[in-house]
Amino acid sequence: MSESIFTVPVGPQHPAFKEPENVTLTLDGEQVIDAKIRLGYVHRGAEKAFENRTYVQNLYLVERICGICAMAHQLCYVNNIETLLGIGVPPRAKYIRTIIAELERIHSHLLWLGVAAHEIGFDTLFMYVWQDREVALDLMERLTGNRVLHAANTIGGVRRDITSDMIPRIKKGLAHLGERTEYYKKIALAEKTIAKRAVGVGILKTQDAISLCAVGPTARASNVNRDVREYDPYSAYDEIPFDVVTSDGCDVAARIMVRIGELEQCVRILEYAAGNLPQGPISIRAPRSVPAGENVSLVEAPRGEDIHYCKSNGSDRPERYKVRAPTLANWASMRKMLIGGSMADVPIVLAAIDPCMSCTDRVAFVDAESGKTWAWSYEQLKKYAQKRSER
Amino acid sequence: MAIVSKEQELVADLKQRFGDKITESAVQRPRRVFVAILPDSLTEVIKYVSEKGYRHLSTMTGLELGQTYGVIYHLIEGNVVLSLKTNTLKSDARLPTIVSIIPGAELYEREVHDMFGIVFEGHPDLSPLILPEKWPSGLYPLRKECKIEAIKAELEKAKE
Repeated sequence: MSESIFTVPVGPQHPAFKEPENVTLTLDGEQVIDAKIRLGYVHRGAEKAFENRTYVQNLYLVERICGICAMAHQLCYVNNIETLLGIGVPPRAKYIRTIIAELERIHSHLLWLGVAAHEIGFDTLFMYVWQDREVALDLMERLTGNRVLHAANTIGGVRRDITSDMIPRIKKGLAHLGERTEYYKKIALAEKTIAKRAVGVGILKTQDAISLCAVGPTARASNVNRDVREYDPYSAYDEIPFDVVTSDGCDVAARIMVRIGELEQCVRILEYAAGNLPQGPISIRAPRSVPAGENVSLVEAPRGEDIHYCKSNGSDRPERYKVRAPTLANWASMRKMLIGGSMADVPIVLAAIDPCMSCTDRVAFVDAESGKTWAWSYEQLKKYAQKRSER
Repeated sequence: MAIVSKEQELVADLKQRFGDKITESAVQRPRRVFVAILPDSLTEVIKYVSEKGYRHLSTMTGLELGQTYGVIYHLIEGNVVLSLKTNTLKSDARLPTIVSIIPGAELYEREVHDMFGIVFEGHPDLSPLILPEKWPSGLYPLRKECKIEAIKAELEKAKE
């Protein structure tokens, strides 16, 4: 072994990471020659918890898998249960679900664009982008009552209607977001900082993206034309025109351009949905127990294909509920992107798949705060919540 | 002549090719196919369907099926999701790895190994992906026999 080969553990706690993960890098000088992945630092055991809660209680649990793509997970869950129940959702509810899901994609992609800008040392862009993200979050708050964790869905429909006075507000917000997206597209193409740090960095070839089963914008930036909204449409996506954005750049710059292109499509979908909102009820009553069966449900979350599997046994609780969030699907490709690159590019390459560790880590029953000396029991937590709501 | 869908065609093709190895098959609804196979034909079937285009392994689900542990491989081609189900004995839970056919299976097999204790023979590295370093061997969180109390007790111990 050459003397210049070093092993450098990065994480679980590291300034370049927003969430805990661990990558052990083997370096030859500055060059990364191997990467080993270790996850699990924010595991909360959601899959075990699903089996011990009713379908209605699970509505709240599923949203808490991830704070950023809460709507995507919940949508995947309700689609799953509604299919098992054999019930359809009113058209208005389908449109409202689509609107919230697309607003969530805007907020998530802008959040990512900000983080990516920060990772390459372009903090001005980071601040501009996050300011615009507020527009999407404000709209979300108006529509659902919450900036994140919207609690928008119920089994059989949605919980809040979009009132007619909201439509002009949505359109105003969209006009602003559309304009800003165009501006960011111009910056991404012209700005030297981005070109120098992103072009040719973190290469993932098309054939590798396919064989390593990459998903979402990561796969689409490697010219893999896969978008659940298009090949397995749910909610109102089969009625709304939009394009799947791909790029053959296969690098970090392509991942930036694909996400910006998707922002444009989000605005287009939202304009159509807000302008063509059908009239009628927003939900139907659903039974509490689900007949025995099994189903696979897919949703295009902001980070890619989200897949849920449910096996029901006729009771009011699932027999088995499996969740695979998009980030886990992209970790295998991540290794490929790091190897051969430079140590200095590791943070931006890692950030470029838009990793969401809370999404990925959800299986084992591990106390997220176990490192700390205090922990709250469920009763204490309940008391605290009740005290807060009394104010 | 009745129109045969892509989903029905897939089931008919697998049945014709693998005969008795297919124990159950159903087109649950458009775009969703469930097929159960015997474990000894797993590699062969995965190889065959991947050559047919089912190369995108979306995920693997481990679950309990009465006296056995089941593993479902969710494969996608175009817009069809093929959920290929196989099982293994609880007393000797092992299946062949499919990493050489679908490299993307690496992390999913590690995850199922962590959670259910199913050994994937031939896997390059089955070290824990998710469970903590000091997790006791033999305690597999998603097995039904593993109660939440046992997991809690383990976590309490880890705090000391």
